[in-house]
Amino acid sequence: MHEVSIIQNVIEIVKQKAIENKLTKIKHISLRIGELSGVMSESLNFAFDSCIKGTMLEESTLGIEIVNALGECKDCNLEFPIEHFNKLCPSCNKFCTNIVRGYELYINTIEGD
Amino acid sequence: MSEIKVVANILHTNEEITSKNKQLLNEKGIYVINLMSSPGSGKTSLLERVISKLKGKLSIAVIEGDLYTTKDAERIEAQGVPVVQINTGGACHLDGKMIKGALDSLNLDKVDLLVIENVGNLVCPAAFDLGEDIKITVLSTPEGNDKPLKYPRMFENSGAIILNKLDLLEFTNFDRVEFYKDINSLNAHAKIFETSCVKDQGIDELCSWLSQQIDNKRGGNVLCQE
Repeated sequence: MHEVSIIQNVIEIVKQKAIENKLTKIKHISLRIGELSGVMSESLNFAFDSCIKGTMLEESTLGIEIVNALGECKDCNLEFPIEHFNKLCPSCNKFCTNIVRGYELYINTIEGD
Repeated sequence: MSEIKVVANILHTNEEITSKNKQLLNEKGIYVINLMSSPGSGKTSLLERVISKLKGKLSIAVIEGDLYTTKDAERIEAQGVPVVQINTGGACHLDGKMIKGALDSLNLDKVDLLVIENVGNLVCPAAFDLGEDIKITVLSTPEGNDKPLKYPRMFENSGAIILNKLDLLEFTNFDRVEFYKDINSLNAHAKIFETSCVKDQGIDELCSWLSQQIDNKRGGNVLCQE
């Protein structure tokens, strides 16, 4: 969807964290992306390769971990995998409104010297 | 080489600004709608009808998001309510910073209802909270009943869904049964309205439900749509 602006935000956050942690060169960045977030890994990789040129991230690699979506049933407290089109609790068959995982857009770790 | 645990939200800048906007809007007791849809589904026409029916009872303000032009803002202005135009200059959604700018130029002291008409787009606006009390998505019958399945996030995150251009239903292959079935699988608790701006159909129901939501917020029962 708006993968370029997401990567621009990633670069800004990483630069800031690098300064805080006295890193001068970034080697690897790992992201956690929820499967319901609507963000495509391929587009993130493409945007990343284009946007890191001329920055301290230029020689770094990007790792993307997809976070599976999880709902919690408000009636029986069961946590279970959900999809966009299937949010029924397997135990009591009620529609789950409490999505506990699946919309993540996080920078998890950065590695560098 | 060192590994640093960051765990930073990539959209944190938007969320910080949005939470400040939301705090301000809550302090003023303003009910806020983030109105979304694809281009041409009738957001502005619906808004014109709703404003004409509610403006005698409530004080309404509108923020209009568009890539270019002030066409929609002019239509809303003609209804005699304050409107602020945001031109994103090509960007596909509104974000917290743009809303902050618009709020600064509105007198919020006497506003009961603020409608933010988002950029026409079924994808990106869904990911950016604007400090609203409710997300409302409009789908028009000529777009086809397959859209909720093709663009699930927007319909999944909406507290209400408006099926518009009902007057054109008979000229399309829109399958209402399928539409309700799909919405039920995505977002079983969404409130659904069926409207036609041309035939003035369903607008009264929409307006009385909105009035109820606004009353609830004024009474201190801020609705939780998530």
